[in-house]
Amino acid sequence: MTSWPPLLVLFVLTPLVGAVLTPAVSDASGRRSWEWALGTMLLTSAMAGALIMRVLDEGPFSYVVGGWVAPYGIELRFDEFSAFVAVVCLLGLLAVIFSRHYARDALAPGRIPYYYTLLLLNMTGMIGFIVTGDLFNLYVFMEILSLSAYALVAISGEKTAEMAAFKYLVMGAVSSLSILFGVGLLYALTGSLNMADVTGRLAGSAEAPLVLAFAALTLGFMVKSALFPLHIWLPDAHAIAPSPVSAVLSGLVVKVGILGMLRVYQIAYGSGAIDLSGLNLMLTWLGAISIVMGAFFAVFQDDIKMMLAYSTISNIGYIVMGLGLASPYSLIGASVHVFNHALIKATLFLGAGALIHQTGRRTLTGLAGVGRSMPLTTAAVSIGAISIVGIPPTAGFLCKWYIALGAMQAGEPLFAVALVFGALLIFVYYIRMVNAFYFRKPQEAGAPAVHEAPATMLVPVLILAALCLVMGVLGRLPLSFIEPAVTRLLAPLGGG
Amino acid sequence: METEATRSILPLLAFALPIVAAVLTVPAQRVSEHARAALLLVVAAAVAAVALVLAAGVASGTVYDTYILQLTPQIWMYLRVDAAGALFGATVAVLWLLALVYSLGYMREEHRLGRYYGFFILCLSWTMGLAYAGNLLTFLIFYELFSILTYPLVVHEETPEAMAAGTKYIVYILFGGTLVLLAIVLTFFSAGVQTFTAGGILSPETDPSMLQVIFWCFLGGFGVKAALVPLHGWVPDAHPAAPAPFSAVLSGVMVAAGSFGIIRTVFQVFGTSLLTSMGVMPYVTGVAGFTVLFAAALAVNQDNLKRRLAYSTISQMAYVVLAVSLLGPESTVGALVHITNHAFMKGGLFLCAGLFIRRLGAYNVQQLDGAARRMPITAACFAIACLGMIGTPPLSGFTSKWYLGLGMLETEKPWLLAVLLGGALMAAIYLLPIVYRMYFREPVITPEDRTVAEGREAPATMLGPLVAATAITLLLGIGASLPGMPVALARMATDAFFH
Repeated sequence: MTSWPPLLVLFVLTPLVGAVLTPAVSDASGRRSWEWALGTMLLTSAMAGALIMRVLDEGPFSYVVGGWVAPYGIELRFDEFSAFVAVVCLLGLLAVIFSRHYARDALAPGRIPYYYTLLLLNMTGMIGFIVTGDLFNLYVFMEILSLSAYALVAISGEKTAEMAAFKYLVMGAVSSLSILFGVGLLYALTGSLNMADVTGRLAGSAEAPLVLAFAALTLGFMVKSALFPLHIWLPDAHAIAPSPVSAVLSGLVVKVGILGMLRVYQIAYGSGAIDLSGLNLMLTWLGAISIVMGAFFAVFQDDIKMMLAYSTISNIGYIVMGLGLASPYSLIGASVHVFNHALIKATLFLGAGALIHQTGRRTLTGLAGVGRSMPLTTAAVSIGAISIVGIPPTAGFLCKWYIALGAMQAGEPLFAVALVFGALLIFVYYIRMVNAFYFRKPQEAGAPAVHEAPATMLVPVLILAALCLVMGVLGRLPLSFIEPAVTRLLAPLGGG
Repeated sequence: METEATRSILPLLAFALPIVAAVLTVPAQRVSEHARAALLLVVAAAVAAVALVLAAGVASGTVYDTYILQLTPQIWMYLRVDAAGALFGATVAVLWLLALVYSLGYMREEHRLGRYYGFFILCLSWTMGLAYAGNLLTFLIFYELFSILTYPLVVHEETPEAMAAGTKYIVYILFGGTLVLLAIVLTFFSAGVQTFTAGGILSPETDPSMLQVIFWCFLGGFGVKAALVPLHGWVPDAHPAAPAPFSAVLSGVMVAAGSFGIIRTVFQVFGTSLLTSMGVMPYVTGVAGFTVLFAAALAVNQDNLKRRLAYSTISQMAYVVLAVSLLGPESTVGALVHITNHAFMKGGLFLCAGLFIRRLGAYNVQQLDGAARRMPITAACFAIACLGMIGTPPLSGFTSKWYLGLGMLETEKPWLLAVLLGGALMAAIYLLPIVYRMYFREPVITPEDRTVAEGREAPATMLGPLVAATAITLLLGIGASLPGMPVALARMATDAFFH
């Protein structure tokens, strides 16, 4: 079963078909559409499990759709970086479970089926983006992903949500165009869209169009990832979207830019046609600035989801800095953090969602003293906070450790300093959050008595919080397959 | 060459049992307060027993170790009990047990007891892990965990002063933790992951400027916790804000954890010969010597008793760093022994301060006039601990300072004796007036405030631990040269360091 070739195709099609059929199976209460979405995600997750077993056994593999080989046909490819689908499926599944009560209370009943459709489409886009071996398909899946994300941000129908979605749409459309332009240039240069094929044909191409192509791709992907100074769309979109959507957007969707960059690196390093050291230097600096700016702005937020949104900018800064340093350790750190940040940020956003859902408040002032009435949720959020600051032995520590080592390895010790002190700044705003939960008295007298969220909300949050700890103490599990992938990525550069 | 280690589950127990207890605190208090108290006492006593068994085993020449978890393909979380670790571990476990028993009486009417006891016992786990950590990353993990998870204990009162003190604490401590992390990253980059080894793990061929950076990052990071001036700012605020039993462990072993980190760094990461050739130690001597005198001078001026004691801690713990900086065997024995001796003396003093607060409502030194008449046992314990702190023979404070003085002569720095004696003199100046007030002044009784007039001795749950701490102070002084006492263990550790 695990080596049945068409499984890879089915893996992409399942959530797509599920998404299209959701409105058809739905009933008036929206309950049926939840069950349908849950079933689809369970099936998709099972397939993801089987595929990951196979990549661990055999290493990267691919499937040529319809037997048409490159450069004519479409190829789906599954390598170690594709193992990110495990996190995609897990978060997608937990977000769907979490949405059961959340969507019913936050959305008009007529919109609930479409909410699940959009969520499943978003998953399709993520999964397709990760497993495709073809540059044009990469663009198509990215658009599925982006368009469903814009709609998800706007789904509540409130004025602010529509404004945020529009801002997101404008930035996103520009970045998509930029990526399409880059893909088009690569096609013009090589006559192929298959990534492996392009890699083989690039050597000896004229330098100017090649530089332009990589610049366009990088620009596009960095907007998607909200790297400073291209981050302005992110705080509003992530803070205003429904919480399960925020978790998916912050945990997964911004990573598309990072995974896209990893694909770009695979092509660039593999072909050896272009020297990326200038680009790397720029990414390292922008990453460092993102860390500090994200933390700096987060300190002034009172809205808990706004804080979390700015923290995503900081964390993308870590990852991009790791990519830019381009040493083996820093790439390991960046890749691990792509996984771990998804788990951590989902813990925080879903936890915040549960708090907001139960209390009806979203500011730190309003949430004062909530630790007493919702001890489990606040404990989970606190674990997420400790983890994202990178306190050992939680999941966030691995990234800090490896990227700091990577900075040393790249001969740039000052970036290691920036990294660890950036983390210190980040802690300042999380300590405010913990203080509000546990050590401050409720501000208003007669605050409504609240209790823990229903199990469909609480259990996903607790699972994710547990993973924040487990992925830290069992850090060697993700590392055991990321290390060979990074070694392979850097192999063409020699040394490595 | 290090001795072969014996694989043992005991070090693992010492740090795992309190975690279990912390998890069970909430269910146990659903049953009853007594169930919770019984659970905590059993676990704390078991940890103390384990720590003493390990110390006895180490004293007879065994080294224990255990692997816990593989964190990354290169790095294991690894515990290894050597002589220095066993001594510190036993100190931690015993003082923690005393503070816990005291808490049962002291905290009775406090709020949020589940949180207090949960974190109190959890921090025992991290501190034991710190004492037994076998490599730098394991040390870092426990160091960070216990730095951060003590925050709920520092701000326990939730008053504005406590919150402000807590913020100050967490900012200082995280800044220090960040420097330590940086130092450990640099060490790993230069030397790979290695078990603490006498003679150091850093190679003398490492780039000299890199070595300097690593050393000062370590010293700055641990210096925050060890409260070296000018990194001491959190100590005088955190101690008065925290509940008394927690102040006792905060001063007794948590500040010492910073000094312990410096000991590990100096002898087992760098090694004496490398440090001598780097020529950094005279600067450390200068900083530590200044801290001894400066903090003692500030202590004289404090009216709040716990604040005065906090400054005294800064001054006393700087002795440890001063002793280490001499890089001589005798002074190192003094440093290790002083950590243990100081823990019980200062722990005892803070327990007394707590009793004065609870029974007399006395926060300030002036309110202690005539206290000895109402609380003769507490006052006697306070006086003994004060004398020990000053270094009066035959109390334990004398033992450590004797070795420290020997070390100064051995390393041919007799002028440092001025610092040693100056610090002792200042300790007399800031501590003895309190004793004088307690015994020889008439209490000022105002009609509104009857607590001073009606104060009586505390119940046995609070008095017992205090008397035990005082007895340990006496025992450590009088029986200093007996086999199995801290001096013997410290001697073993020092022999290993200077092998």
